[in-house]
Order: sequence, then structure tokens, then C-alpha cells
Amino acid sequence: MAHAPMSVKDRKNVLSGLKVREAMRRIAVHLPESASVDEATRCAIKFKVSAILITGREYQALGVVSKTDLMCAYYAGLPLETPVSTIMRSPPLFCGMDDSLDAALDTMRSKGVHRLYVRGDDPDQAIGILAYPDIVGLLYRYCHKCEHNTLRTRKVPSIFNFSDTFKVRDVMNPSLLVFREEAILSSVMEGLSAHRIGAVLIRGRNNLPSGVVSKTDLIMAYRHGIRPTAEAATIMSSPVRSCDHNEQLVSAIQKMIFSDVHRFFVYRDNPDNIVGVLTLTDAARVRSGSCRACVSSRIRL
Amino acid sequence: MGLTARDVMDTRFFTLLPETTVAEAVKAFRRAGEELNRRVFGMMVTSPDGELLGMVSMYDILILMRPKHIHIWGEMHDIDVSGFMDECYLRAKSIPVGDLMTTDVITLTPDTHLLQIVDIMVRKHLRRIPVLDGGKVIGIVHISSVFFFLMER
Repeated sequence: MAHAPMSVKDRKNVLSGLKVREAMRRIAVHLPESASVDEATRCAIKFKVSAILITGREYQALGVVSKTDLMCAYYAGLPLETPVSTIMRSPPLFCGMDDSLDAALDTMRSKGVHRLYVRGDDPDQAIGILAYPDIVGLLYRYCHKCEHNTLRTRKVPSIFNFSDTFKVRDVMNPSLLVFREEAILSSVMEGLSAHRIGAVLIRGRNNLPSGVVSKTDLIMAYRHGIRPTAEAATIMSSPVRSCDHNEQLVSAIQKMIFSDVHRFFVYRDNPDNIVGVLTLTDAARVRSGSCRACVSSRIRL
Repeated sequence: MGLTARDVMDTRFFTLLPETTVAEAVKAFRRAGEELNRRVFGMMVTSPDGELLGMVSMYDILILMRPKHIHIWGEMHDIDVSGFMDECYLRAKSIPVGDLMTTDVITLTPDTHLLQIVDIMVRKHLRRIPVLDGGKVIGIVHISSVFFFLMER
């Protein structure tokens, strides 16, 4: 006896049915394989991108150079004239425009990467990029429009009323990597690499927070010829951009966006008592998955 | 020998050093525009001895000013973005132009033929091309100079 196929509702997930093409961005910048590491550092600074696609003569995607790779080149003492092909990771990881976002997220998680390149009609060329912030933005929009959005059912007049229920402490990461001002940049780079994070907190001789060294700061130091044996204090960004752990999440997000930074250090009681880190991705992720229909789709990094 | 870059190049030009900050470059654009009596959209970046290192334009500076997270805040219509451009400029103004200049610069020699210059400008969408002699900048050819030179003959 034949059975009619069951109507299966496998998961209640806002990502179900969404495709990569709905979240991807066009690639803003790429470099030829003959470009120098110096050009890649300049691109990373100017375009504020975390990775640069390296292409061949026919614009085929050959590899990727990330800020981490540039930092490693600095650590290894490679001259800035070194071709990017020496340090690029190859081949780039791809997804298709019509792949599901679920599948793309699974690939990013399983491969431990923050971005996938989107294949075009030519299978060797990348026409777009899909990174966590793109998916976060998409989820945020869907959450606002979703018929299950708690806002609609409660008839709350402003999104602020709802968002304000979240505090920084609910979202922050309590893990911190701290160095002293006199630590040499090589040590800082080792720490960033080992912990797979984007920035470290710097404390002064009085043990108070005095600055931050991020991968971007290190890449700029590389370009400007500062030796890896220099002290962290010579390149750190100061003062430390921070927020109170009791601050409204929406306010912290706004400050991060205005400051054009990806992270805030979080303090309790006073700005000298740093207790965690809040990244924009973490913050936006929670805002995106606020209602019940979205909870299952929150991005796990 | 026909008409060449030598016949249309401007030998009066202004340059920046790579360590010039964005804030200083903006003032230099304005000053040069006043002295030349036309808008200056970009300048050559040279070493102290006149060797061409790159070019920086208003476009390059606007790319730098564009907020990193614009794709996220574009989705967040509930966030007040007043004062945003001031913040963007404050961040950008101390960056040296050497960090954002375009180094992949097409150049001419004084003997490059005028029609070759037209061809390069059309194919590469260029409005200004430096003229080098022995690696040193000796002039710059603007699209307006080429255009009026050809059209008003």
C-alpha cells in the first residue's frame, strides 16, 4: 500500500527557505595575485574589510588574504613587497547563490571561517561574499516583518521598548585577553592568533586599562614600518572604547556603529573594571533573534 | 611626430606627501582649486624628491569615510544616526594619504601621442594622468585640456 508523502515540518527556523542570494553582498575589492602585501594592507585599511579576494588573470578566484594572514606576515617579518600569493589561503571557500542560508551557515561553522564567497555563472569566479554580518542584517529585517514578531502581538508602538529589555551583560563575552603596555607586538600577535580574537586589552603600569591593540592596529603598524619588537603602547588605540555592563543593548549597538568599531570592552561599576567584551555581531545577533520564531535561527559562531 | 602629452599637459600641479593626513589633503584640494581656478578632485602623491608614489582622489577619501558597518545599520531603521557624518570625518582625518592612495597608476611620457591619451582615458575612465620623465613628475594631463584642445582646433 502506497503512502502519500507526509507534510514534514522539520524545523521552526526563520532561515528555512531563505537563500544565499538574499543575504550576499557584491565584492567591493579584489587584488591580482601579483599584488604586494603592502597593497593588501592598504586595501584592508581603506575599504575596512577583513579579507581580500585574490584573483587570477581571468578574474578567477585564487585565494583569500585576511587580516589574520596579514598579521602573520608581519609576525614572520615578511617584506611588504612580498606578493600576496605567498600568504593567501587557497582555494577560497564557495557557496552557490541558490544554496540555503542554513547550509551556508553550516559550512562556515564546520570550516571555522567567517565568510564564504558566492560562485557566479563561471564556477571559477566569485561574484559575491556572504559573511555573518550580512546574515545578521537579513535576520534583523525578517524579524521586523515576521507575523510572529512579539512586537505585533503585543502591539508595542516602538521597537525601542522591546529592545530595551536587553542589557549588555546578557550578551557580552566574559573572556578577555590582556597585555601590559610594555608587551612586545610579537607577543600580542601570538595571543590574538592563539585565541582567535580580533583585539586585546592593554593595561598600563598602574594596572588600569590604557588602550586596545586590534588586528587593524597591527596591520597599520606593519605598513608604517614599526618593528614587531616595539611595545604595545606605541600602537595601541586609546582610550579604551567601553560601555557599562548594565547599559541598554540598543544604546551600546548605536555607540559601536557611531564609533565604527566592532567591539566594546565592558566594565562593571567603573570604567577601570573591565569584565568582558561585546562585539557588534553578538549584539546584533540577539536583536535579530528576539522573537520566538527566530530563536532557533540564532547564529552560533 | 604629432601632438603629444607635452602639448596638453599642465606643468603647474600640486602634490601631496604620503604622510599628509586626510584633513591636510582636503585643505590642499581646496587651496589648489583656488589657485588653479577650477575644482581639484585628486592629487598625485610623491616622495620628497618628486618620484610618483600614487594618486589620491575625493573618491578614495569617501571610501575611507564610508562606515564599516553600513550594511548593518542600514537594516536598523530604529537607530538615530544624526551626527554620524561628523563621527566619520573625525575618524578619517588623521589617516595618512599613503594608506589610501591608489598605487596602480597609469602614466604617460611627454611623447605619448594625443590620440593614445584619448584612448587610455576612454578605456580606463581616467580624468587625469600624470606625465613622468625619468620617474619624476613633470606634468599632468586633464581630460578637459585634451577635450578642448581637440574640439576647439
